[in-house]
Formats: sequence, C-alpha cells, structure tokens
Amino acid sequence: MLDEIINQIQNEFEKDINEADSLKKLEEIRIKYLARNGSVTLLFDKLKETSKEEKPILGKKLNELRNSVTEKFNSKKEELEKSETASKEFIDLTLPGKTVKLGSKHILTQTLEEIKQIFKSMGFSVFEGPELESDYYNFEALNFPADHPARDMQDTFFINEKFLLRTHTSPVQIRVMESMQPPVRAIMPGRVYRNEAINARSYCTFQQVEGLYVDTDVTFAELKGTLVSFAKQFYGSSLKYRFRPSFFPFTEPSAEMDITCFICNGKGCRICKNSGWLEILGCGMVDPNVFKYVNYDSEKYIGYAFGMGIERITLLKYGINDIRLFFENDLRFLKQF
Amino acid sequence: MKISLNWLKQYIDLNDLTTKDIVDKLTMSGLEVEDIVDENELYKNFIVAEVKSVSKHPNADKLSVCEVFDGKETLQVICGAPNVAPGQKVVFAPIGTLIPNGNFQIKKAKIRGVESNGMICAEDELLLSEDHSGIMVLNSTLQAGKPITEALNLNDVIFEIAVTPNRPDALSHVGVARDLSAIFNRDLHLPEIVLKESKIKANEIASVEIKDQKNCPRYSAKVVLNVQIKESPEWLKNRLAKIGLRPINNVVDVTNFILHELGQPLHAFDLDLLEGKKIIVKSTEQEKEFVTLDSKVRKLPQNTLMICDAKREVAIAGIMGGENSEINPSTKNILIESAYFNPSSIRRTSKALQLSTDSSYRFERGADPSITKYAAERAAQLISELAGGEVAEGIIDVYPKIIERKEISLRYSRVTKILGYEISKEKIHQILSRLGLALKDLDDNSLLVSVPTFRPDIEREIDLIEEIARINGYDNIPVVPKINITLEKKVDQQKFEDDVRNIISSFGFYEMINNPLESEWEAGLTGNPIFLANPQSAEMSCLRTSLLGGGLNSVKRNLNYGIRNMMLFEIGNVFERKSDLLINSFDDISEKQNLILILSGKEEEKTWYSDEKYFDFYSLKGYVNSFTQKISLDNLLTDLYYSSENEIYSYYFTKNFNNQLVGVGGKVKKDVLSKFDINQDVFVFEFDLSALKKITPDVKKYIEPLKFPKIIRDFALIFDRSVQYLDVKNFILERASKLLKKVELFDIFENETLGSNKKSMAFTLEYFDESRTLTEDEVEKDFNYLISEISKKFNAKLRG
Ligand SMILES: [Zn+2]
Repeated sequence: MLDEIINQIQNEFEKDINEADSLKKLEEIRIKYLARNGSVTLLFDKLKETSKEEKPILGKKLNELRNSVTEKFNSKKEELEKSETASKEFIDLTLPGKTVKLGSKHILTQTLEEIKQIFKSMGFSVFEGPELESDYYNFEALNFPADHPARDMQDTFFINEKFLLRTHTSPVQIRVMESMQPPVRAIMPGRVYRNEAINARSYCTFQQVEGLYVDTDVTFAELKGTLVSFAKQFYGSSLKYRFRPSFFPFTEPSAEMDITCFICNGKGCRICKNSGWLEILGCGMVDPNVFKYVNYDSEKYIGYAFGMGIERITLLKYGINDIRLFFENDLRFLKQF
Repeated sequence: MKISLNWLKQYIDLNDLTTKDIVDKLTMSGLEVEDIVDENELYKNFIVAEVKSVSKHPNADKLSVCEVFDGKETLQVICGAPNVAPGQKVVFAPIGTLIPNGNFQIKKAKIRGVESNGMICAEDELLLSEDHSGIMVLNSTLQAGKPITEALNLNDVIFEIAVTPNRPDALSHVGVARDLSAIFNRDLHLPEIVLKESKIKANEIASVEIKDQKNCPRYSAKVVLNVQIKESPEWLKNRLAKIGLRPINNVVDVTNFILHELGQPLHAFDLDLLEGKKIIVKSTEQEKEFVTLDSKVRKLPQNTLMICDAKREVAIAGIMGGENSEINPSTKNILIESAYFNPSSIRRTSKALQLSTDSSYRFERGADPSITKYAAERAAQLISELAGGEVAEGIIDVYPKIIERKEISLRYSRVTKILGYEISKEKIHQILSRLGLALKDLDDNSLLVSVPTFRPDIEREIDLIEEIARINGYDNIPVVPKINITLEKKVDQQKFEDDVRNIISSFGFYEMINNPLESEWEAGLTGNPIFLANPQSAEMSCLRTSLLGGGLNSVKRNLNYGIRNMMLFEIGNVFERKSDLLINSFDDISEKQNLILILSGKEEEKTWYSDEKYFDFYSLKGYVNSFTQKISLDNLLTDLYYSSENEIYSYYFTKNFNNQLVGVGGKVKKDVLSKFDINQDVFVFEFDLSALKKITPDVKKYIEPLKFPKIIRDFALIFDRSVQYLDVKNFILERASKLLKKVELFDIFENETLGSNKKSMAFTLEYFDESRTLTEDEVEKDFNYLISEISKKFNAKLRG
C-alpha cells in the first residue's frame, strides 16, 4: 500500500515540478513535499509503523524518493533562478544614477593649491598678512621712496594718507622678516588690489603668491634653479623659459620670467603680443635697502624674492579669455573645474 | 617710448645686425621692446601711381571710376574720395596688398557692379595720420611705379620700448644707443658741436637768477638772435614723425628733437616777450592761475616751481611753457632753456596739475645735471643751421652747487657671490666702461667706479652688479640643479582655511570669489564700513563688512542666468572700522577672515526616484553642524536660537564660543533679498573663521565599540505646538537614568485628528551599558517613568 502512495507522490511531484514556472511556485512545492510537514518527509514517519522485515526495503525506497525529489527540485530551482533574473524581474540598467552632490573649490584656489604644494615640497613655509596695509609696509619699507615714479607702477586704492589696500603681497615679506631671523624660506599668498579699469584683461583685485628666501649663501643661480623647477612642475617639463632684466624697487638685480607662449608655441599671437613669450612672474635678489628696514645685515645675508599673479597664470593655463569670469561666480563656470 | 632704428644709427654702427638681433638683445638686457613696426615690411607692396582719368560711377553718386597708371599698365580702380582728380600722383595698393589699418587684404572686386583692381589710399589707411578726409596726394614729380618705401622714406623700423622707472638715462636715442654699445661692444658717437658764435655776449643780453636752488640746481641758457621761424626741413620733420610727434616749427622741432636725441628737455622762449630779458626760477607763494601754451588755464598750487621773467610767470618749470612767451611766427630772438630740476618737485607738480609731458616724464625720473650745457649748445647749433640767426657768445650757466659723480667700489668676489657664477674682470671692465662709467684704482680684488650723473639709479655696489649681470645676459647665469633645505619646523598659516575649503566643497558647495569692494549700502548692511579715498565708482567705494553682499550678488547673477538651485560658499577677508574717528593705526580697524554658506532653490530636483525638495532652515543647520563636527568644534560651540527677525534674517541661530559670537545665519529677510532683486528663499550662515581658527579643537580619542546589546524604546506623544523639541530632549536627558545614552527625534507632524494647536513628536531612546547586558525590566521601568514625567511636565498625551 505504501508503494502505491510512493508512486502517487512521485507522480504528483513530477506533475507539479513540470508545471512550476516561478520561484514562488517552487517554494510552494518545497513546502508541499520537502518541508517538515511535507508529504515526503511525513512518509518517513510511517517507517516507524512498518515491520522489521519491511523496514530496510521501504527505507531504501523512501530514500530513493527523497533523493530523486530533492535532485529534481534543485535542478528546477537552478533553472528558474537563472531565467527569472533574466526575464521576469526586468531591470533597466540604463536609468540615470542617483545624483551625488559634488561641489568644488574655485579654479583660482585649485591653482593656488598646486603652487603651494610645489613650493612646500621645496621647503617653503606659508605666511599671511593683512590686505588693508600701511603705506610703510606696502611701499616705504620695500624701497619705494615717496614721490618716486616707481609708485606709478602700481595704481593704488588709498584709505587715507597712511593706509591703503595692498598692491602686492610683498609687504608680507617685511612682516615675516620682522618676525624672525634668517634662514627665511616662505611663500606668502594673498589678495591684492589695483585701481585699474575692469575689463576682460584686468580687474581691480587679484591674488598673488610672493616668495622669499634669505640665508647666507643665496645666489641668482639658485633663484633661477628654484623658479625653473617650479615652472616645469607647474607647466610641464618640456617648457622653454627666459629671464629678462626688469625693475622692482625691492629687488636688485630684478628679472621677469617668461615662458614660451603655449597658445602659438612661440610663433607669435595676439595673447603674447607677437613676442612668442608670456610673462609669468617677477623676481630678483632682495635689495639691501629692504634688509635695512628689517635690521638684517646685508653684508652677511643675501636673499631672493619672487611674485606671481594667480589669475594670470590660470587664464593662460586654461585658455580663459575674460578675467571677470573669475568673479562672476556663474555656476556654469564654477562647475567646470 | 618710440625709438627709430635709422635715428639710432646716427650714434652707433648697427648695419651688420638684423632687426631681430637688436630687438632680442635690447629686451634681454632690460630695455623691453614691446612692439616693432618695420616700415619696409608694412609698406612693401604700395607704389606711386598716376591718376589718368576720373569719371562718375554709374550706380553710386559718391564713387568715382578711375583709370590709374602703375608704371606698367593702366588699371580701373573705384575710389570714394572726394578729392581724387586726373593728373594726381597717389599711393596705390595693388591687388594682394595688406592694408596696415585694419589688416585687410585688397582683392579684385566688383563695387556696385563695376570692377576695381586695387585701392587709392588715404593717410589713415597707411597709419600715417588719422586723416580720412581724402586720398593722399603726392609730389607730382614722383615717378609712377616707385615703391613708396623709397618715395616717402618709409624705410625705418620703429621700436616701442618699455623703459622701467629706474632708467631715465635710456629715455632717448643716445641712451638706447649707449646700452647697445655695451651689449655689442662697439663705439658710441655723440654729435660734435661746431658753433659759430657772434660777438654779442649772451650774458649781456639776458640774465638768469635761481631763487629756489633746491628745486632747480642748475639753469643753463643759450641765446640765438635774428632767427626766422619757419617749417622744419624734411629730415627733421621725418625724424619727429617717425616717433609720433607733430612738427610745429623749426625752433620748437629742434627742442623736441634734442629731447628725444639726448633725453634733455629744452624750452625755447621768445626773448623779446621776457620782461627785462630776465629769467627768475622760483616757487609760487600762493595759488594762482596760469595759461600754458596749449591755451589751457592751469590752477597752480602753492610752492609750484615756476620760470618767471622780471614781472610774471612764463613757464611751469620742467613741465610746460606759457602761452605768454612761446615761440610764434614773428619771433626774432630766442632764449633756450636747458635746466636740471629736482625730480620729486616736478613729480609733485605734475601730479597736482594732472599734467604729464615728455619733459616732466624725464625730469621726474631724473635728468642729467651735467648735460645742460651740451644740450643747449647742440640746440643753438641746429637752430642757427635751420633758422638762420646768430648764436650769442657764451652760455649763461647758473650752477651754484655742482652735483658730483658718485664713486662706488666693486668687489669681484661679490659679483660671484650674488650671481652664483664668475664673470671675468676683463668682461666686467668692458661692460662698465661701455656704459659710460669710469674705472679707477683697479686692484686684484676690487675697483673703484666713478658713475656719471646720467645714471642716478647707480648708487651702490649691488647696482653695479645688476649692470654687469644684465649686459652679460641673464641667460648666462647658471640654473642650479639642487638646493639645501634646512630642517627647522615649517609653518603653514593657511592650513586651516585649506581644510575648511576641502570640507565645505565635499558637502557639495561651490566656491565663489567676490569683489571685496562694494557700495556703501551693501557694506553698510552688516557693519561700519571703511571707505576708499579714491574709489573708481560708487558701486566700489567701500570694503565689505561681511561676505553677505557679494554672496547675494552672486545668487542674483545666477538667477539671471536661469540657474535657480545653488550651494555656494566663500572664504574671504572682511573689514570694519572700530569707531568713526580717523583711521590712524591698525587698532582703529578690524580685518578678519569669514566663511559664508549660501543655500537657495531646490535641495533635490524632481527625479525618477524622488520628489523635489527645497532648501530650508534645517538644511542650513545640518550643513553648519556637520561642518563644526568635521573641525571637531561641535562640543565646544553652543547654539542660540532667535525665532524673531533682525536686520538681515527672518529667523536665525548663532554659534558661540565662551559667550563670544563666532557665527550667525538663518533665512534672509524678503526686504533684504528684494534689494538684490532675488525672488526666492535664501539661507545663509556666516562664520568668523579667524575666531574658529583660534579655538583649540577637541582631541580625537578612540572609543571601543560596544560589546553588549542596546535596548531601544520608541514613543510618540502629543504636545502643544509651542513645545520645542530641544526642551523635551533636554528634559528627557535630565530625568532619565544613566543607562539612557541617546535621544533621537524620528517623526514630527501636525494634523486635525491631534486637535488644534497640537503636534506629535516621536522619539527613539537608546539604552546600553558598556560593561554588561541590560535587563528588559530595568529599561522598562525607566522608560515608563520618563513617559509619565514628560506627560506631566509638558501636558502631553500618548498617541492612541
Ligand atoms: Zn603666442
């Protein structure tokens, strides 16, 4: 009689498993046959009621049934799992991903950070000073005599006779030297102001990075070496450069550093005024008069200093054609960097 | 400054050098050539042509159809000039010619249906003047077909040189030639003076007296009698025209020529208009008016150095002559002034009068006190050559205290020490002598250099080193391959602000940089602003007192561009005056660094996975608190909340450290926003970053993760609407057992079923102990106690 039941269960299972077309239905089958109260499991209870003689035979049959059912169930399950993920639960992977807010630092900040990083790796500290400066720090202690045409080089916003908006970051040189004894190796980034008309090429405020190194054995050759190393790290190692004599009251000798115009590759274009060169910074050996103001012995100590405008460098590097874009804060601009 | 190459060649032989050689070397030795006009290149295709016939254009009233002979063939050309006529010799641009003005190329064209094979040029098209009234009509003797470079002497090269303010000596052709003589190591030839003087003595005709010797150390004067004022000869007009000067008459042109030749400004007076034939140099004692030779009335401030005759002022010293004594067509006798004025005196006057001339430009930088006599004699010679007349014998030369040459000693070792490489003694001697410096007392280690008075910039050894370095070429200075770095502690005063930028931008904010110069009303919104003494405009007359105005202007600009959703931040300095008293020291002002956060528009756009959501006060508070947490100040700062408005915000909160305000922000009031034309909500928080920077943050300590289970209990109570979350939270923390570690609000809502003016707040309570497993019973006891305490305290009811 049990044989009959076994056959019946076997047949019924075959039918069910063939008709099963989803994992959900398969789970129903598992519960019907294989779970704790499933018909196959329950059959094993009947084994207790059977005689000693029949037990091994029946046991074997029941084991065969359970193995066959389990095997078919597992292979069906595997089959359905494969097909269901592919067809039934359709997922459109091409939908846009969920938005992540990005944010960014201003391109001028990014340029400045890159510059700071390069100089910090060369042992420079970073110092700051006030934007609202005194005439003494901005001009006098930097060897700009009163009534001297050198003052015309920098159109100045004045607060009154004694105070002004600094026209360069060089006053921080004085403040740093007043606060410590050589060796001094520092860069001094910050905002400066010029009373210049606002147009595509000039703005009334911009950022500079000043550099200063004072020690007993500092040479023009080291100034060149340091700035060439900087320029190659910043603009690329294949860069061509030149140092050209110039004039700043607080350095002597003074120079400007040019690099090959990367817009025209030195052939001459509108950006480089047909010279093939782009000026990127001013530099020179610290004028002994400046050392007098900070009580450094100009016979013992020699120094070099340099300064560059962040806006100019950034305009050139990214081919931005209007300096005012830096201060509009148009998100369509800000989000590009 | 414009320099003509042909003119330069009068003083130095440059014929073996290309223009490029000269330009490169000048630039690389400190006289930067900013622009070059090579006339041979610019005018290479233009030729002289003859107009054979002129007839009316059939389709245009103002145009003519001309037959033009170019020396080889006759071409049909359309011309629009009213003065074109048969028989004229004109400047003709054949097809293919590049027109200097506008840089366009002449092409074969049909103009209103009639063919045109070139162009007849006006002066402006050739950049010879601004005249566009008609075509240029040339001397009729010129031959058709001749290049205009030959016919019109357009074969010069003009350099535009940027001379730095320390180099007054280079502000002339001889000055530039002197640098070239050092650069190329060749001789400089100064013009020789050959004067035929009459028997009449200059000092018997005229006299000079200097009353202000400080501001006028030297005054030389030469007298020329019986001159004839007329047009200058072609060579002189040509010299001046090339450097952009308009010829006036032979005498004035000579003075201008010498200014650009030698760098010494001269002035010619009509001697007969000088009262008492006397020159007195003195400063004005009071303000007065004076008419300069450009017919303008100038207001002279007190202490203006003036040239006077026996009765009145006749010139503003070193700047411009007066109308009352200028050279005029009937002038017969002249006095040539060649003086040396104190640079800062000239500069002060030039600034005060806002009048800068070629003359003041040179005097304020420092002219050469030693050249006055030579320059006056050179002028007298040229004037007598060009204007006839006789040169009175001798020179009137008042020079009470001679300005001596400086002597500087130079150590060869110092040159090497500063530059980092050795330059041979011979080379050093050569450079310095070519620059006009005299070498004395040479020994093995050093030499004594005598500096001529035309180099006021050379005062010290270092100045000599610069001269040597620049003439020898900066390119020759080596580039060191390595540097020594000392091991002392490095400082980075910007580290904090850099960290802040990284944190805020990682939240999704974009960094702005706004102009710190604002209008008075903008800067006045948030403080007592500092005014500029010389603003460009009212919109930029004050320094910002906070970052709010700049930020709101950026919001407005973005709205104008159609961008409505924004998260912006800025770090920048803000300025305030501490009192209304005069700013006399740094104590009277404050300058500090602020950080502003701005939220406006939508926090979340409507997307396929979520609904849109607008920024609100709690978005702002979330970012502000996340920021203080990131910089480890969250436990050190306390919040204060203000639900009623102030001048800027409808409601707001502040961050405080030891009762000192370090940040404020909230929802910006509508009336403030409307001043900036902003029509949507804006949430702003501004920190005093300088103050935050000074606070020592909490030291981060490791806390071991909990080893025992937490027990969580939730409850929801119905409160009066006016009950504040923070009061409930603080009450729970105060009454609960030590086992309660965390109280979190997880739901809040209001609706009618709760009753009017009621709201439901739901809290999660977290219980645990670091050292043992809690029992359900002890938590249950505390929890039930809390519910009943809260209910009593706040008159709250459990939600059904
Ligand atoms: Zn270029």
